[in-house]
Amino acid sequence: MNLKKYLVRALHRLQKGPGYTYKELLVWYCDNTNTHGPKRIIKEGPKKKLIWFFLTLLFASLVFWQWGILINTYLSYNVTSSLSIGFKTMKFPAVTVCNANPFKYSEVKHLLKELDRLIEAALERILQPTPGNGSENVSPPLDLELWNQLPLVLIDEHDKDNPVILDIFETNQTAGGNKTNVSDDTAGGKQSSCSHQGSDNCTYRNFTSAAQAVTEWYILQSTSILSKVPLHERIRMGYQAEDMILACLYGAEPCNYKNFTQIYHPDHGNCYIFNWGMDEEALNSSNPGAEFGLKLILDISQQDYIPYLSSAAGARLMLHQQKSFPFLKDQGIYAMAGTETSIGVVVDELERMGYPYSDCTMNGSDVPVKNLYSQYNTSYSIQACLRSCFQNHMVEICGCGHYMFPLPEGVNYCNNEDNPGWAYCYSSLRSSIKHRQICIDSCKETCNDTQYKMTISMADWPSEASEDWIFHILSYERDMSTNVTLDRNGIIKLNIYFQEYNYRTISESAATTIVWLLSSLGGQFGFWMGGSVLCLIEFGEIIIDSLWITIINVISWCKSLKQRRARARYPDAPPTVSELVEAHTNLGFQQEAAGALPRDEALPPEPGTPPPNYDSLRVQPLDVLGPDSDAE
Amino acid sequence: AVMAPGKKITARLKRTLPVRGPQAPTLSELMRWYCLNTNTHGCRRIVVSRGRLRRLLWILLTLSAVGLILWQCAELLMNYYSASVSVTVQFQKLPFPAVTICNINPYKYSAMKEYLSELDKETKKALETFYGFSEGKSKVRRSVDEWNSTGSNFFQQIPLLKVEDFSRMATDLHSGQKRKIEGSVFHKDSSIVNSGDSNDIIGFQLCDANNSSDCALYTFSSGVNAIQEWYKLHYMNIMAQIPLETKEKLSYSADDLLLTCFFDGLSCDKRHFTRFHHPLHGNCYTFNSGENGTILSTSTGGSEYGLQVVLYIDEADYNPFLVTSTGAKIIVHDQNEYPFIEDIGKEIETAAATSIGMHFTRSRKLSKPYSDCTETGADIPVENLYNKSYSLQICLHSCFQKAMVHSCGCAQYAQPLPAGAEYCNYKKNPNWMYCYYRLHEKFVKEQLGCQQICKDACSFKEWALTTSIAQWPSTVSEDWMLRVLSWDKGQKLNKKLNKTDLANLMVFYKDLNERFISENPANTLVILLSNFGGQLGLWMSCSVVCVIEIVEVFFIDSLSIVMRRQWQKAKKWWNDRKRGSSGKAPQASDVERQGHDNPVCIDEDLPTFTTALRLPLPQDSPLPRTPPPNYSTLRLETAFTEQLPDTLELGQH
Repeated sequence: MNLKKYLVRALHRLQKGPGYTYKELLVWYCDNTNTHGPKRIIKEGPKKKLIWFFLTLLFASLVFWQWGILINTYLSYNVTSSLSIGFKTMKFPAVTVCNANPFKYSEVKHLLKELDRLIEAALERILQPTPGNGSENVSPPLDLELWNQLPLVLIDEHDKDNPVILDIFETNQTAGGNKTNVSDDTAGGKQSSCSHQGSDNCTYRNFTSAAQAVTEWYILQSTSILSKVPLHERIRMGYQAEDMILACLYGAEPCNYKNFTQIYHPDHGNCYIFNWGMDEEALNSSNPGAEFGLKLILDISQQDYIPYLSSAAGARLMLHQQKSFPFLKDQGIYAMAGTETSIGVVVDELERMGYPYSDCTMNGSDVPVKNLYSQYNTSYSIQACLRSCFQNHMVEICGCGHYMFPLPEGVNYCNNEDNPGWAYCYSSLRSSIKHRQICIDSCKETCNDTQYKMTISMADWPSEASEDWIFHILSYERDMSTNVTLDRNGIIKLNIYFQEYNYRTISESAATTIVWLLSSLGGQFGFWMGGSVLCLIEFGEIIIDSLWITIINVISWCKSLKQRRARARYPDAPPTVSELVEAHTNLGFQQEAAGALPRDEALPPEPGTPPPNYDSLRVQPLDVLGPDSDAE
Repeated sequence: AVMAPGKKITARLKRTLPVRGPQAPTLSELMRWYCLNTNTHGCRRIVVSRGRLRRLLWILLTLSAVGLILWQCAELLMNYYSASVSVTVQFQKLPFPAVTICNINPYKYSAMKEYLSELDKETKKALETFYGFSEGKSKVRRSVDEWNSTGSNFFQQIPLLKVEDFSRMATDLHSGQKRKIEGSVFHKDSSIVNSGDSNDIIGFQLCDANNSSDCALYTFSSGVNAIQEWYKLHYMNIMAQIPLETKEKLSYSADDLLLTCFFDGLSCDKRHFTRFHHPLHGNCYTFNSGENGTILSTSTGGSEYGLQVVLYIDEADYNPFLVTSTGAKIIVHDQNEYPFIEDIGKEIETAAATSIGMHFTRSRKLSKPYSDCTETGADIPVENLYNKSYSLQICLHSCFQKAMVHSCGCAQYAQPLPAGAEYCNYKKNPNWMYCYYRLHEKFVKEQLGCQQICKDACSFKEWALTTSIAQWPSTVSEDWMLRVLSWDKGQKLNKKLNKTDLANLMVFYKDLNERFISENPANTLVILLSNFGGQLGLWMSCSVVCVIEIVEVFFIDSLSIVMRRQWQKAKKWWNDRKRGSSGKAPQASDVERQGHDNPVCIDEDLPTFTTALRLPLPQDSPLPRTPPPNYSTLRLETAFTEQLPDTLELGQH
């Protein structure tokens, strides 16, 4: 009963609406809407009506199609980049300087003594294959324990199918073995590593060049030896700041080795970072040119290099952002001894928008790899992520950490004694494509990428004329001696400065914002149909109205059905309240359901005067004319 | 009334689908109607406003709005073909580029002896006579004798001359005789000729072989350049006659050049290198050329994971006149690109480790109509002589070579051969040198049109290189390093290597970030239309519908009104003439029948009540008839002051 009341009320409300039938509603809508097309449909003659109808349809579909395109464009989250170049006062980059050689040979000699004797003897054997040649029988016997863990072998592949493997310290030749790859016709230095001593599970890492093989072998062995040395000892063995950094000048201000932060880098030993910004504010540079940059004089003391470890001599340096870890192997450059190297710097910045515009990370917190470099208190970088990822894999698979990377908690570095198979494990992991791919997939680049573009030029330094006094002064200052303790082979001058245009910033901004989307949508709708959001609301209103009409029609149809049934029993049924109301207010308008209503049949007979045929009342004038013209 | 069937059909059509004329009989009425009924906003105000000032204001406002729309839309249209740049950085596995390595010296000097001995002898002679340079007394004495006995064909072909600037007299070095300089003088080396300087200028003369009076003299400010240039000319001439197979043998083999090779932690050897013969640099070797279908890629940045090679540069076997620097040249390029070693190669020093860090950038430009670049080079009328993908460099070289073949009849040695042509040499083309120089002059001055024809490529890959040098081998490791490398080199070499014969090269990715700079259309059609819509809507609330309205009203309707006027006039004039001749009475009924009950007057709408009433009614209608109310007056559309006679045509049957 409540529902019925509500429906009646709704009916009343509807009667104030634009129409009682779909057609009226539609006509009303077309006449009163603010969109431009529909009005024409009803205002024009039949031919134009048709044209306008199709035009309106066409425009409406165009609008919807283009809206689709626009929304798609918006959802693809495009970005536009803007580039700016110029000079501004900027933070001077952090400068890391290292020696290419990690430790002073004089300090580590006692640790590497056995190894060096071994490799000297091995080289002797390789270069003079006939045994007992010359005075090579050195007095103390060689410690073959190191050797046996990781022997160097010669693989003679003259006979492709049956290569001869020759251990350098043993005369017996063993044929076969599970080599990984047959590669060369001529005999070359090969390195083999077995996962366990004496076991069959061996791989031969082969090299076409003996020099390469010896270097790699030496690195593996020395890594194993040095990993046992505690860190403070290793730092002591490396180059000290006061020995290495002889002179420093930043702009007009003097600086010295105390302005550098020491960091231990596994590849290069002690490295010193200028302007790292960890403890104090980063320095700004507000002038371009060498006069206002950093000037350094370094001594790399080439005489004290470990002969087999690094064959290239020079300083390794790198420019990087404040509070980031220097990855010298990736981004570092060399500076040659006996030269002055000038480095003009342009800061190449890329500022990107994060998700969903591009897949990058702001601070690395959303990367599923534990950043091992966070112990240095440095910021996230892709290199740090990749290395951490590798080290984590290494710990997981080999059970120990690699010496070149920081250690996770509770894990030790690999060495030959505790982890005899680590070299095999490491080299198989290193060459595993699968693990690399896992790391590449899980690491993300940072959103703000800063690179320092360097223009490097070199000149001989010191000049022959000035050589004497420069060496004299530098030696005096460092060692307080009047003897010259430096030479060309150790001394390096560096100038690092901003170029005239010191930044090039590419910054991204969203190409499509919600404002852009709305104005484009509005533009499209306006362009084709002159519509706006209000028109959409109008349209929605019409839909609601037509829904009401449907409901009313359904109700009245149901009622008539009921009535008909009732009339079958009682031929003269009393009218219901709603019916009465309807009949009262709705005289003869309900044409759709007219047939179903008994009220129509009960209409009074036609009066004598026909109702005037008003133009405005006629909806279909064609029907009127049709038979007439035929009659003519 | 009996009618022809055709007429009947047309009449019926006219009635069922009445031809509707403009909404108003006159232009001013039409404008009024338009302004009242249009969807645009300003116009209605003009009509509705009261007061002259206000109306004027609205006219001005509407007009300025129209002007603004036109201006803004023109702006939008003009900016349609603009591009926006987007930079994306992607961290991923990167394909390693091809690395081409050449020795700076193209051919082993010892092997070239038999071809070049004559030329070298004469060069030395020239050096002796000009500058008093001699390697040893006895040698000179002998060569001077030889000179006198054999005579020199090189000097006959292209004589080296000492030019005295003021007298315009030249001394022929060979004969010692003086000759007057004819023709033009080209200062090849110095644009500023310091005429005050009394120093002699050295140069050589190129003459047209067919017309010996047409000579060009090329002078150089320094004898170093002159001798080298002169030597090069003859050298190219000699090399052009040697077949390619021989030349490849004369040059360095992969074993000669490469001592060690290491890529991505694994050993590599000469099989990873592809030989590529460069006319000026001899045998070059390309690492990772992609020839066997696989392109190596790196998944880790850093120097250990890149390419490391030790090159053997046999300094003792260098050609002393052709090249004066020692080392190697390398170029990092895409597998599809041709390595233009001589143009953009990087030099590698000996006795040093050169580390080259790469940073990969890929760029893409939009082609026409955004910018004038070419995607594949197919739309450029220059045949690509190189078997590689298009680049501007390739186009320019090909264009020059084509011009060379066309005007000189033979091809220049440094560039590939077009089909059916052969390299220039003196025996067949005695005139080529002169021709070449002339042509080159033209090419540099952009008179050949090559620079206009050739366009740059739309997409290109670039490896930005950061090069740094360290001393290598270090003093302490030098000893064992050289010994082991000598052993590596093996039996073929019986001398101990010197460190100046070696160069260490490392090429690696600094990081695996690929920068992709691409241009995108700043505007698509959709956005352009949106912007149009925005402008139209903002100023006048107009849409395409309004545009159609405007077209309808201002063009079709106005035109038809004007035409109707003209038609009426013509008809009237015709009728007058006819009446004048035949004396028939004027059709006054037309005027009389004008009115609300005239069926044709209400032509704007469909046949209505009134038209229906004009039809013959049933005679025996029992109902009394009330006169029809004149509702026409209610209708705005028909409230025009004037009805035109042609709208009455329908009723005249």
